Amino acid sequence: MDRLLIVEKIEKRYGRAHVLGAKQEVTALLDVSFSIGRGSTLALVGESGSGKSTLALCIACLERPTSGKIVFNRNEITVLDEKQLREVRPQIQLVFQDPARSLNPRFSALELVSEPLLVQGRLDKREREARARALLGQVGIPQEKALQRAEEFSGGQRQRLAIARALSLEPKLLILDEALSALDCSVQAQIANLLMELQGRLGLTYLFITHDFAMAGHLAHEIAVMEQGRVVEIGAADEVLGTPNQEVTRRLIAAMPRLTAEAHAPRAV
Amino acid sequence: MIQLSGWKRWLLAIVVLHGIVACAGFFAPYDPTEQDREHPYLPPMRIHLVDTQGHFHFRPFFYAEQLRVGSFDQFEEHSQQAIPLRFFVTGARYDLLGLLPFRTHLFGAEASRVYLLGSDAYGRDQLSRILYGGQISLLAGMLGAGLTLLIGVLIGATAGYLGGWRDGLLMRVAELFMALPWLYLLFALRAFLPLSVSPVQAFFLIILVIGAVGWARPARLVRGVVLSARERDFVRAARGFGATDSYLLRRHILPETSSVILTQAAILVPQFVLAEMTLSFLGLGVPEPVPSWGSLLASLQQYSVLVSYWWMYLPALAIVPFFLGYLGLASALQQDAGTEKIVRTAGGSRW
Repeated sequence: MDRLLIVEKIEKRYGRAHVLGAKQEVTALLDVSFSIGRGSTLALVGESGSGKSTLALCIACLERPTSGKIVFNRNEITVLDEKQLREVRPQIQLVFQDPARSLNPRFSALELVSEPLLVQGRLDKREREARARALLGQVGIPQEKALQRAEEFSGGQRQRLAIARALSLEPKLLILDEALSALDCSVQAQIANLLMELQGRLGLTYLFITHDFAMAGHLAHEIAVMEQGRVVEIGAADEVLGTPNQEVTRRLIAAMPRLTAEAHAPRAV
Repeated sequence: MIQLSGWKRWLLAIVVLHGIVACAGFFAPYDPTEQDREHPYLPPMRIHLVDTQGHFHFRPFFYAEQLRVGSFDQFEEHSQQAIPLRFFVTGARYDLLGLLPFRTHLFGAEASRVYLLGSDAYGRDQLSRILYGGQISLLAGMLGAGLTLLIGVLIGATAGYLGGWRDGLLMRVAELFMALPWLYLLFALRAFLPLSVSPVQAFFLIILVIGAVGWARPARLVRGVVLSARERDFVRAARGFGATDSYLLRRHILPETSSVILTQAAILVPQFVLAEMTLSFLGLGVPEPVPSWGSLLASLQQYSVLVSYWWMYLPALAIVPFFLGYLGLASALQQDAGTEKIVRTAGGSRW
């Protein structure tokens, strides 16, 4: 299958100068490699602190990896300069975990969703607004709420706004960094279904970052498991869920809520 | 009746106070430079409602004053000569707000001059001089604060946004500015300038000086806010859809600093009014005969004035209501920003 994103031996180290003594280094990512096929979903599962979010920022061109190579849509993006990156970024959109922080509270829903188009200088004012209204409709935000400010929406609606905003530039790759984790179950299910529907309709590619194996199994075609900055296991979703090779994977699967756990992964006794 | 909340009430109070000073021509009975050599150092006059015979009058009046026989600075009331106080009288010409020529004053008297707050060495009306002096002092304070905030925001935002060695360099410069002994450097600066400068030149020089000195503190505050705003998810998200640095600063980062800037403005204006007073007191400010609160107080440098004429201290009291107003506004703004933050955080977890 055609690979939209190829990550090869990515490393990310943060240097921190200490007041006394030598520089301290924190390694966030170590020798990470994987790829995602066009139009499919890869779930990246790991405990908190395993480097998932750093990886998301590196792929979204918001952080530079210390070494390694990222190839997006056949272009190597790790060698681009700031100006060239600004042109790649719209094609890779990131939805953050907490929409209360990723949406500027001063903006209205309409402003939020049309902002990417404004920044990109696409369309004129009226067309932008029409497009933003269409997007709001797509994610199920009622039209009469278009002028409300971000802080007046509920958490689930805000995350819908964040997704609508990410979609406004018609990206090829959507990175969802724990985008459902802070929502309650019924809202999670609604948005998960919305994502699947959009994938079917627009042919989107997802990198779905989560610590929840149940959701990963539900949404993803492939699953990669991360631990302490490394990818320790990767494979087709049912393989990883059915025959986990690693201790971490087994631990994370065991942490799934029982009912869903049995539905997806009957445990070998 | 309109209900005003928190900082708006303080703002209204400040606007009223400034309005009085801005319309000094109307509230002051006389021109601030008009002299009356017959009445130097006249103490504040008493306004009477009951005359020496014990009769009550509805219209307030005062007695003309004359030098006590054998004294050079002791005045006494001339009990035969009662002069009624008149309201909305026609007097010296002035330009209201610097634009509209007017002759009407709030109060005055016909036969003799009335000195509600006494007079100075040349018999100039102290009340008029305080009101007009406020125009210079307050304007210097406000323009100085504006200049300081402009420099502070520019430098603070640059340092906070760029980070790295440029941040380090700018903050070291800010620390240097805070460490310098400013008053004495001002003397040195003054020494480079010609002996006499025009009032307008002196005024702008003062604004330039207090504006250039004070930027370090607001710059550090703004830098802190920008530094944390830069790492916010919504700023990252905006960079993610291709926003340029100037767009991020303008649309997302600088609006975050607005409450810090407003609070700083409310703190800086009275502080800079005080700075203007100090400089003018020391003779580095706007020269005679133009009054400012600091130059009015400069006469206290003479020991005889210091001990004999208590009403010459009054210009120092004039700043008190302004100070209270601005400090009240600053703390109300701070409280407002605090509650806004709390509401937002609470809203963030309200699912």
